[in-house]
Amino acid sequence: MVNSMLETGIPRLDEYLSGGIPEGKTLIYLNHPGVEGDVFGMQTLYHCLTTGNNCIYIASSLHPKMLIDQFSEFGWAMDKYKDRLNVIDAYSSLVGDISSEKYIVPDPEDINSITEVIDQVIKDVPKGSVFVFSSLSTIMDLCGEENTINAVRSWNKSAKTNKIVNVYNFTAWPYTESTLAQIKTDLFNCVINVGGIAQQVIYGQYFGVAKADWLKLQEKSMLFRVLRPGGIKIYLPKILVTGPFNAGKSTFVHSLSTRAVSVDRKGTTIALDHGHIDYKGFSADIFGTPGQDRFDPIIKMISGEAMGVFLVVDSTNPENFNRAQQMLEITTGYGLPYVIIANKQDMPDAISIDDIRTRLNLPEEIPVVSTVATEKRGVFEAFEMLVERITGGI
Amino acid sequence: MEGYSLGIDKLDENIKGIRSGSNIMMIGPPMSGKEVIINDIVYNGLKSGDAAVIVTTREPGENVIDWFDYNNLEIPLDHLGIVDCVTKTLGVPTSETDNIKRASSPVDLTGIGVKISQFLEDFWMKKNIRKTRLCIVSLSTILMYSNIQTVFRFLHVFTGRVKAAGAIGIYVVEEGMHDSQAIATLKQLFDGIIEIKQEQDNHYIRIVGLGKKPSPWYEYSLDGAHIQLKEVKNGE
Repeated sequence: MVNSMLETGIPRLDEYLSGGIPEGKTLIYLNHPGVEGDVFGMQTLYHCLTTGNNCIYIASSLHPKMLIDQFSEFGWAMDKYKDRLNVIDAYSSLVGDISSEKYIVPDPEDINSITEVIDQVIKDVPKGSVFVFSSLSTIMDLCGEENTINAVRSWNKSAKTNKIVNVYNFTAWPYTESTLAQIKTDLFNCVINVGGIAQQVIYGQYFGVAKADWLKLQEKSMLFRVLRPGGIKIYLPKILVTGPFNAGKSTFVHSLSTRAVSVDRKGTTIALDHGHIDYKGFSADIFGTPGQDRFDPIIKMISGEAMGVFLVVDSTNPENFNRAQQMLEITTGYGLPYVIIANKQDMPDAISIDDIRTRLNLPEEIPVVSTVATEKRGVFEAFEMLVERITGGI
Repeated sequence: MEGYSLGIDKLDENIKGIRSGSNIMMIGPPMSGKEVIINDIVYNGLKSGDAAVIVTTREPGENVIDWFDYNNLEIPLDHLGIVDCVTKTLGVPTSETDNIKRASSPVDLTGIGVKISQFLEDFWMKKNIRKTRLCIVSLSTILMYSNIQTVFRFLHVFTGRVKAAGAIGIYVVEEGMHDSQAIATLKQLFDGIIEIKQEQDNHYIRIVGLGKKPSPWYEYSLDGAHIQLKEVKNGE
């Protein structure tokens, strides 16, 4: 017995979608270029096969004979499900190759040619089947934007009539604004953004639900990694907390975290503070480093894997700002986004935020947040600002 | 010197370094040794500690590495990434290696883009290498399977990534395979051009757009894996 909500098989996503995709609905994975978004459609296809569904895979940029090989990279044995998997070969004719598939698109550059084959397959497969388009953007590249948009409307209409679920992978190349707007708002019941966190290079990937018309949406996003084997796995980012000696880093880590431990001697951190935060749908592991320069290799080690940095300074002790700048230079060398924590702002001799900005010679766009870590004042605001800087406001 | 050099002395002397983030088209007739020149530029970069990403659309990834071996050029493999767009199209079951990632086909621009991004991240974040040379050999093969708008969109994104990463990109185009409008469209994306021409049995090279004025044409010959330039005495 197959569930009427179709699970995507992507960790946490089915939870966000209240169980999955309802029958007759359509979902698009809207992938930013350079991000491993195509694995989302593959993982959904494989999961649907393992949960007893009939599936149709529209292969647009790969010869179908390589499919088993491609899925096996992730440890997904497709040959076990051959009896429930049909492939529409929309590739071989393009490169003049021979195909042994039952369903072959004779001219992948003609949208009507694709639609005719899809219509035929819909007649042949049971209601409730799942269509996964390996790359809608490739179809769009070959057949044109307007033709493809019109065809998608008709495919989605058929899906509704035949209680089929259509799942699309789509790479959001810089198409026309009108095309991208229709894809983001009109054409699909559900839009999943799959994006990259980029500074100089893309160093993190996330997904989030941008639209799901069957539920009241809460903004949620998760970072992920793609493992071979394993597929998409949720990834908890590391956030580095650094700063000079006695700036209040350990207190900051503890006040921000839902749980935390420190390795210290006589109140001074000598190895690491470690905490975990789960705040407004965003989870992270937090690592605090000791302030003395002999521990700088630890900062470098964590910076190589971190997603963002808090630099904690003692607002009453500007003499230590040179050291703070040194520590910042180590982390910014890795291109990480950062937020300055102006701690101990409740003390009478604390200097102002503007003064701190000037003395640290900070660019205008870098947030300097007033905090009193002992009272948890400002710490969550700072966390939100760093998340905003890491994700670009997803 | 800030930025990059090609490692081809006379051209480097003319342009006095290539700014980080530059994207360069290399265009020339078939059989003029463009792959050798690209490999030479890659090798010179690797020797000086840069990383390199080669997108190969005509040769399997292993052949690219074998070329360096065959020519007795020792390269630091952990600085080299190859995006192989060929092997999977041959229907040969194969897996990826530390150096070679495989896109499904030259049509699979999404896959090519993902693999390039992965190498850029690997070099920048994990290996702490700040200079990378991205070479696409060749754009012409990609253009055989995808139309000009599609390739333009792809390049628009990735020339931007090259700029953001402070890398340089060199993109090989076969002269005579595309109409002049297609070439003009692509040129908008590039900061400079390495031009190659053939007259009778001789080959010439020059560089345009990266210095104050175009370099002179130099006659060149390929000595195994290296390019040798000589001045052209009587002008062009």
